[in-house]
Amino acid sequence: MSTDSDTTTDADARQQLIDLAAEFYDQFAEGDVPRMQIPTRTKSNIEYDEDKHVWVYGDRTSTRSAKTVSGAQKLLKATYTIDFLAEQLDQDRSSTLRELYYLSESWDLDEAQFSSQDESNSLIEDLEIVSAVKREDFHMRPEESGATIMGPLEIREQTRRGEREIHCQEDVGEGGYQIPNNPDTIEFLANDAEFVLCVETGGMRDRLVENGFDEEYDAIVVHLKGQPARATRRITKRLHDGLDLPVTVFTDGDPWSYRIYGSVAYGSIKSAHLSEYLATPQAQYIGIQPEDIVEYDLPTDPLGDSDVNALESELDDPRFQTDYWEEQIELQLDIGKKSEQQSLASYGLDFVTETYLPERLDEMGVL
Amino acid sequence: MTSYQSQLGEGEGIAQELAESQRSISIAEFFEKNKHMLGFDSEARALVTAVKEAVDNSLDACEEAGILPDIYVEIQEAGDYYRLIVEDNGPGITKEQIPKVFGKLLYGSRFHVREQNRGQQGIGISAAVLYSQLTSGKPAKITSRTKGGVEAEYFELIVDTDTNEPEIDVEETTTWDRPHGTRIELEMEGNMRARGQLHDYVRQTAVVNPHARIELREPDAHIKSERATDQLPEETEEIRPHPHGVELGTLIKMLEATDSYSVSGFLQGEFTRVGATTAENVIDNFRDRHFGREMAWRPPKAHEDADVEAALTDAVANKGADATAAFARRVADALDDSERVAHHEFVAIVDDAADDIEAEYDRSFGSTVRDNAVAAGWGRITGRDSADGGADDEGVDRLRSDLYALADEATSTRKDDATIDGLADRLAAKFDGADDERHRFTREHLREFVRRSAEATEEYDDATFGETARENVLEALWEVAVRVPDDPPKVRTIAAERDTASDLLEAMRETDIIAPPTDCLAPITADLIEEGLRKEFDADFYAASTRDASVHGGDPFIVEAGLAYGGELESESGADVLRFANRVPLVYQRGACATTDVVKQINWRNYNLDQPGGSGIPTDAAVVMVHVASTNVPFTSESKDAVANVPELESEIELAIREAARELKSYLKKRRSMQQRREKQDKLATILPEMAEKLSEVTGRDRLNIDDSLARIMNNVLVERERDGESVRLVVENNADTAAEIELTDIVSGGEPTLENGDASVVEMDGEWFVKWSVSVASGDEATLEYGVDGEASFEVSVDGVEDEKLTVDA
Repeated sequence: MSTDSDTTTDADARQQLIDLAAEFYDQFAEGDVPRMQIPTRTKSNIEYDEDKHVWVYGDRTSTRSAKTVSGAQKLLKATYTIDFLAEQLDQDRSSTLRELYYLSESWDLDEAQFSSQDESNSLIEDLEIVSAVKREDFHMRPEESGATIMGPLEIREQTRRGEREIHCQEDVGEGGYQIPNNPDTIEFLANDAEFVLCVETGGMRDRLVENGFDEEYDAIVVHLKGQPARATRRITKRLHDGLDLPVTVFTDGDPWSYRIYGSVAYGSIKSAHLSEYLATPQAQYIGIQPEDIVEYDLPTDPLGDSDVNALESELDDPRFQTDYWEEQIELQLDIGKKSEQQSLASYGLDFVTETYLPERLDEMGVL
Repeated sequence: MTSYQSQLGEGEGIAQELAESQRSISIAEFFEKNKHMLGFDSEARALVTAVKEAVDNSLDACEEAGILPDIYVEIQEAGDYYRLIVEDNGPGITKEQIPKVFGKLLYGSRFHVREQNRGQQGIGISAAVLYSQLTSGKPAKITSRTKGGVEAEYFELIVDTDTNEPEIDVEETTTWDRPHGTRIELEMEGNMRARGQLHDYVRQTAVVNPHARIELREPDAHIKSERATDQLPEETEEIRPHPHGVELGTLIKMLEATDSYSVSGFLQGEFTRVGATTAENVIDNFRDRHFGREMAWRPPKAHEDADVEAALTDAVANKGADATAAFARRVADALDDSERVAHHEFVAIVDDAADDIEAEYDRSFGSTVRDNAVAAGWGRITGRDSADGGADDEGVDRLRSDLYALADEATSTRKDDATIDGLADRLAAKFDGADDERHRFTREHLREFVRRSAEATEEYDDATFGETARENVLEALWEVAVRVPDDPPKVRTIAAERDTASDLLEAMRETDIIAPPTDCLAPITADLIEEGLRKEFDADFYAASTRDASVHGGDPFIVEAGLAYGGELESESGADVLRFANRVPLVYQRGACATTDVVKQINWRNYNLDQPGGSGIPTDAAVVMVHVASTNVPFTSESKDAVANVPELESEIELAIREAARELKSYLKKRRSMQQRREKQDKLATILPEMAEKLSEVTGRDRLNIDDSLARIMNNVLVERERDGESVRLVVENNADTAAEIELTDIVSGGEPTLENGDASVVEMDGEWFVKWSVSVASGDEATLEYGVDGEASFEVSVDGVEDEKLTVDA
């Protein structure tokens, strides 16, 4: 799969899908059992790609085979979806994942319909992997995630209604520039940025913007909105690769937030086939670190059972098997506490922008 | 008390008054008042019971005579009454017997016989006669013709309830179209409310008597059940009672009646399964109980103070020094050779030695000498007399050390020495002080010794000596004690002494004796049960089992079970439980029957049947039948409606049902997996063609044939035809996990095939050629049948040996 999406034309994408269907066809024609082999998508089957510095799927595969009723049903759905996508590409239309789910209701065969959106989402991921075409190139998009950018950056976006040139501080309101579903339609024109700051929560993003952090430190503030959507991760990677900006990630100090950092930096388990395209291995973690909880004596909540389980599971997660993370996670298990980004407000509203972030960024060598 | 009695005595006496109204009642009178005990408790039931008694008699009579039964039952409305007619083709009854069979209660041939029969007491049919005369006032009309009889006998009779003798109204000869058989006609009050039970009875009788033809005609229905087999039930043998099955009263009666003189002869002559060895075993146990055993002691060794040799030398007088010394020496040597010696054994040693010495020294050792020697020697052995004359503690010491070793061995190591010592000391005193110098005691007597010693030990030595320890010590003593050689009492003596008879009974019971022979039983056999069920129930599955014979109380019994499942059986009211005893259906008191209890206790879910709550009658469409055959089926009451809850019987019933149910389980499992396979096939048969069609559409290629893929997916056996000009190839591909034994027939028309496979064969029939081929294909393998035929030929292939669900034919 190429990192440069421009080479995958609609015709290519369509052909890839048809080829996949042809494979099933041939299996039938030979009296064979139709099947589809895809990498097992669990954390035990991801491995570090030394060359590309991202986590990708390992060698273990699972097979969707028509030998079982459920396997046959999956293949049937795949065939119907291929048909639908090929049609969509033909007509140069696009649809959302949710639309695909509802659209399946209109298929005449009950067995081909999706029973939940999770099912249709994961089928699209299967097809991405097997056909080596990104879903964006199938013209499938997710719901808008609503993630935004604010910072000294000028871009040109190729919209359906023509080109737009936008400065991400001057041409936007306080909400910032909304990242489109396919960020590859964006071209970077100019920037004065020093680094990229990805922020987990809306509250903290708003605090940074209100305090003028982006202006003062020439930071591009990317709002992740929780677990970042593909588009958010993609644009973050492009900001790093294309503009050569250091990327930092600022989240809450709990296990779920470390996973947010993990998917920005190393790629997510579900989309490890796209890690090369989405992950920014050079991304650095600012905090809140468990160490910070101790050092800054931040207000805390106790770790719940699910937190502890999540931390322990992270210790098993190959993505987190570095000295740094092992030390931090073990420290957190030790103190049994977690803190939110906003807990920094206990030292005043400006503490985060005037003290914490400058100190941390300095330590990390970003400033 | 006395004053009251004297008051009673005054004024003519109430006792005399009472005596006037006290008189014996006839058996017939008794049953007149207790109709319910015989199943005549309601009008509805009376009719069913009467039919049952008559039919049971007919079936028994036919079987005894080796005739395939042909029974006709008719119920007519006759004014206020019902008329019941039962006809059979049995051997008939002689003129002399007819009145007694039908007109006298408790008259029968089977009460005293240990043999499997439907009727036993001889009450049934005469009770029906009694009931009919009591309700309608009409006599029973009986026609019977014996085989070869010129004319039939005709009787009209009633039971004289005062005397329990038949009262004959009419006695004449008549003509009858049956060559032999019996017909009874009864008029009685009744109603047909128990029609269900009546039909059940007839139907179920047909199930367990597949060799019988039974027809029932009643005002509203006509049931006819043809015979399913010409095989008569095995003839049964009468057997003598089994030693485990008699009670004391019976035993005493047998003892009184026997011609035998000795116990051994009695046991071998009167009981089944008792030969000389078994009789001897029983008698040994009897000896133990009756005489007890003699305690055996370690004889003192030469160096010990209790010098037997010296005592003997002293005891023998006037026999010369040499002979006396040799005699004493010999006895002492014999003692040295024996580990332990009991009194009678010592007597034998002394006798042997005396005999030898008599021969060697030509001196006579008479009984007085011998008795003296025994007394002296035994006194030393048991320590009663010590070397220096009178009895003293030393004797007790001897026994005590012996007993100490025994008790120490028998009890747990946790008992300290002092406790054991105390017990041994007290036990020794008991033996020493016993009246019987031979130390001959029954087990009970020894138990008493141990108990008293243990209690004293507990009391004075502040030790614990519990039940288990006491039993262990007793066991050790009993083990060491020696059975006495005395002859058992004679039969006459035993018969006269209740306690002795009781000892004998106990001895019989504790002796292992092989189970009674089972040729006195006639099980239906599993095959015929299945036939019977098949005949009467339209189900999908049948299974049956016959257990080996077991014994309860000396009566052998066999339990058989049958199961029918699915098909046209009704599931609304849950499974039907059919109960049979000696081939007779039990249609009443279902809830009181051991059979029903067992069926309810079984966890039917294990056998893939529905059973809400995991107990109770399964709710599936099923029939569970249980047949108990025995020389004496234990019923809960005289009306013989329910089998009593006897543990041995219940356990056999359960095993029989489980045996049959196991087959049902594997059938249901297979059926379920076939159903799943069918469902899967159905599902895939919709999904995959749609997928194939879509694939053709998307790729823009030709339509697909997906049969081969389907066969492979279903792990099916795939039969494919390949044709190339004049050569035909049938390829059998086995995608299943197990080998397939296939019989393949290709019907070729329009040209004669020429075979290339040596193992196939061709048969021509009306211009069609049947190419037959049997082949075994291993899992994952292929086999090919090849032959040549004209281009014009057409084919039709059929495949046997594989279930349809597992077969895909593409030829």
